Amino acid sequence: MASASLTFLAAPPLLAGGWRNRLLVLALLLFAFSCLAVGSQPAGSTPLLERSVKAAFLYKFLGYMEFPADPGPTLVVGVLGADDVAAELAHITSGRSVGNRSISVRKLAEGEALGGLNLLFVGGDASLPEATLRAAEKNGTVIVTERDDGLQNGSVINFRLVDERVRFEVSLPAAERCNVRLSSRLLSVAYFVQKGGQ
Amino acid sequence: MTRKPTSLLLLAMLSIAPGVRAAGGADGDIADLTLEQLNEIVVTSVSRQEERLSNAAASLFVISATDIRRSGARSLPEALRLAPNLEVARVDARNYAISARGFNSPFANKLLVLIDGRSVYSPFFSAVFWDAQSVVMEDIERIEVISGPGSTIWGVNAVNGVINVITRNAKDSQGTLLSVAASSGEGDASLRFGGRLSNNGYYRAYAQAMAAEDTDTAAGVNTFTGMQRRQAGFRADWGLEQGSIALSGDAYQANLGQIGTRDIRLSGANLVARYLRQLANDNALRLQLVLDHTERNQPGAYVDRLDTVELEGQHDVRVGMHKLSWGGGYRHSRDDNTPGPGFGFWPYERSLHWANLFAQDEVALSDSLRATGGVKVEHNTYTGAEWLPTLRLAWSPNATHTVWSALSRTVRAPARSDRDFVAPPKPVMLGGVPRFSIGTSPEFDSEVANVLELGYRAQPAQHWSYSLTAWYADYDKLRTLEPNTTVAPYRGILEFRNRSEGRTRGLELWARWQPMLRWRLNAGLVVQDVDTHLKPGSKDVSTAGLVINDPHSYWQLRSSHEIGEHMQFDWTLRYNGSMPKPHVPSYHELDANLVWKASPNVDVALAGQNLLHARHGEWGGYPGRNVFERRAVLKLTMRY
Repeated sequence: MASASLTFLAAPPLLAGGWRNRLLVLALLLFAFSCLAVGSQPAGSTPLLERSVKAAFLYKFLGYMEFPADPGPTLVVGVLGADDVAAELAHITSGRSVGNRSISVRKLAEGEALGGLNLLFVGGDASLPEATLRAAEKNGTVIVTERDDGLQNGSVINFRLVDERVRFEVSLPAAERCNVRLSSRLLSVAYFVQKGGQ
Repeated sequence: MTRKPTSLLLLAMLSIAPGVRAAGGADGDIADLTLEQLNEIVVTSVSRQEERLSNAAASLFVISATDIRRSGARSLPEALRLAPNLEVARVDARNYAISARGFNSPFANKLLVLIDGRSVYSPFFSAVFWDAQSVVMEDIERIEVISGPGSTIWGVNAVNGVINVITRNAKDSQGTLLSVAASSGEGDASLRFGGRLSNNGYYRAYAQAMAAEDTDTAAGVNTFTGMQRRQAGFRADWGLEQGSIALSGDAYQANLGQIGTRDIRLSGANLVARYLRQLANDNALRLQLVLDHTERNQPGAYVDRLDTVELEGQHDVRVGMHKLSWGGGYRHSRDDNTPGPGFGFWPYERSLHWANLFAQDEVALSDSLRATGGVKVEHNTYTGAEWLPTLRLAWSPNATHTVWSALSRTVRAPARSDRDFVAPPKPVMLGGVPRFSIGTSPEFDSEVANVLELGYRAQPAQHWSYSLTAWYADYDKLRTLEPNTTVAPYRGILEFRNRSEGRTRGLELWARWQPMLRWRLNAGLVVQDVDTHLKPGSKDVSTAGLVINDPHSYWQLRSSHEIGEHMQFDWTLRYNGSMPKPHVPSYHELDANLVWKASPNVDVALAGQNLLHARHGEWGGYPGRNVFERRAVLKLTMRY
């Protein structure tokens, strides 16, 4: 019986039988699990590996792009709807530079203006309105997404999980629209490159 | 005796929960890796997509392409063994019993299965003919297994679960693939080629063949259930400026053995067209058209031809804090059944219609609390409108923990096998009334379940995640076979009625742990109670309507090891508790698979199946129970 299998999880008086008792046992179990979970890690300190890898990619991408206007002494990366990636990116880029430029990470709220960004990462399900895309193209901001239909939505680079690895695909027409040149090395590593003229 | 392993497993899982500090923390140094090195890091966390799916607050397990490849599974049913929330029992050389949350049998009728959005649940037989379903295993992107009701989205018959088999976009299956697998009793080969089309399109085309030898019963008698099957198909995908189009099709033919007759002949073909359009502000529109033909020519039983056309549409709208989905669909099937000597379907030919409308709204009540309410109303030929509502709550205090709960009403609507089944097929007439022993069942109504679920999902650390779901389900109007008690000449004729009820409750638990960078463990456990009983007044004459044969518990432990750069070693230990009616003893079994990447284009895999016993059975009573032998499978995969 189900109760027999759960026996060791609870104090004997709870096991008089009946599904109500088992629900109670379950509630205790859930509680125990949640305590273990909270106890094993200070909240928010360990990012998921996938988020770290994506943050590292974002940092790397900067080194393989030529922006239309001189970005000045600092490259600015905006992060929308992915605070975990923003935090991780800020962490790994502190004290690092691309060429002789430092990197600044900006957490954005939905609807916030995009002025001055070189790269914009749009996390998961965060919305990507038409107006944002147009503004990005005008400003020469490279949009990076992480959704199945990212390139179709107009992003330049899109992360995908392929065989449990983080891979990225690139849209050359989208890069062209925002006047950014991507190095051939970046393209050679890309999982998939969408070419123009089609 | 059967309970110890379960307890020990759970205890083991609990004991490793706290203080996991595994390797692989690339913190800080990760930015020093090259693009190529970043490409090769295996991330074990739930993907965005999986996360989005699991946001739906349901008991969802995703079987990844990697899981399938590493397990060595060569058929859909064998791949489904990877889902800890499914009961999978092999019945004979070609038949399987697959269900979630109880009510398992080779005719399990409460689990909906879709392949790329096309339902393969038969409205003729209220079950999935597993021998008629196949895909190129290497082209599967993932299999989503949801245990529990999914009717608000997927409609009637998604009572105990939904399986979504999703194949890769043609863009992701380019080039030539050849895979060949052989063992002492089975073999299969698939050849696939993928290329580019004009207009930003991609395609793949494939052909495959398989053969399975007859199996023997525990008493050593040949069951003649072997089969051969041939299939070919294609898929094409086009990326549009604002959306995508997918077109896919398959055609197959199979011969199935049967004692004392010529082979059963199966054939079928299908075509699926899907259009997705991204609208402004993250709104989306999805349209799908399905055409499906199946034919089953079974000597001594029937010849059945089923033609289906289905059109579905869905519109997703974001309004402020609301994510609204609404849509509808219409399906028409024509079933033409020529009976054999024993039984038939009355009338021989019937048109079936389903029409549905649904709406679902997900509201963000706060940053951490989401509520989802939805209802589908689906109209069918037999019982009219069925209401399929659900209410779900999910609370995520942070990105790595979610507590969810769901309350759903779901329905299994009658199929022809419930309403139109008759025996004998050509009865004598008595007083102007056909004298059947089993007559048509005009009063058979839908089976109904009300289900409460409570779940918790967490990824407390990079290397450790788990999911826990408890459910309680109340079933009403379950199928029974009753003698008619009205006046002559109807009196005594047996018919299907709904005079049984039941309830199930249980716990589903699975966990993933990566103790080392090159070693992963997956564990899963289900403990359940499935009770049914006849209602007062029932004179159920057989167990045909009420086959309940579920283990109280089943579990699995899966290990995935990378050995050096070119070898992967996986093993799965699984346990199935004993089943009562007919009695099947509990069993442990072990499968192992060693993959050697001989070159970037060639994989060689050696699998050992059912390693613990010379032979074991999974379904049916002694001595007729089929047994499956320990064996080795050699597989070669080439990609160019």
